[in-house]
Amino acid sequence: MNLKTMGFLLLGISVAILYFFVNPSDVNFFPKCPLYVTTGIYCPGCGSQRATHQLLQFNLFGVLQQNVLYFLGILVLGYHGIITGLNAYFKKNIYNYIYHPKTPIIILVIIIIYWVLRNIPYYPFTILAPN
Amino acid sequence: MMDQNQPKNYLVESILVTIFCCLPFGIVGIVFASQVNSKFSSGDYHGAQEASENAKKWMKWGLFSGIAIILLYAIVIFAIGGLAIMGFGNDY
Repeated sequence: MNLKTMGFLLLGISVAILYFFVNPSDVNFFPKCPLYVTTGIYCPGCGSQRATHQLLQFNLFGVLQQNVLYFLGILVLGYHGIITGLNAYFKKNIYNYIYHPKTPIIILVIIIIYWVLRNIPYYPFTILAPN
Repeated sequence: MMDQNQPKNYLVESILVTIFCCLPFGIVGIVFASQVNSKFSSGDYHGAQEASENAKKWMKWGLFSGIAIILLYAIVIFAIGGLAIMGFGNDY
C-alpha cells in the first residue's frame, strides 16, 4: 500500500467517524448545499450528509427519508464493486451493466425526474425532500 | 464481452460527484459516460476514448470544486468560529 492510498484511507476513516458520531441535523458547522442556500431549491444530492450519518448508524429507513437517490447510488456503487471484484479475482467475465449504452442515459433521466419531484411542495412528493 | 477494451466511463464516479457535491459537473460527467458507452458499442473506439477523457476531466473538476467548497466553508467557519459553537445543538 502506497502513501497516497493510505492517506485516502485515513481521510475516509476519519470522515466516517465524524459522520458516525455527529448528526448533521443537530449542528450547523457542516457545509450546506450551495444551491439550496442560494436558491432554496433542493438539488438531487441534498440530504446526503444526513443520509451518510443514518447509513453509518445502519438506519436504512433514515437514509431513504433523507435521500432516495443516495440509496440508489449506493446500490449502483455496490453492484459495480461486486462485478469488478468478481471479474478481477476469479477471472470471470460477467457483463457489467455500467458499460451498457443505455445505462448512463437512464440514470441521468432518473436524477432529473427525482430533482423535479422532490421540489414539488405537496404531500406525496414532500417525502422525497430531505427533512 | 469486451469490457477490458472499453475505455473507463467514470459513470460511478460521476454519480458520486452528483450526489455528494457538484451537480452540474456530475451531470456533464454522466453525459460523457453515456457517450463512452454508445460510441464504443458502435465501434468508434477513438470517440469513446475521447469521451472517456472528457468524463474524467469533468469528474475531476467536480471533485476539486467539492474540495474547494469544503475548504472555503471551513475557512469561513473558523473565521467566525464563535458563531458555530453558539449554534451547536440549536435544534434541541
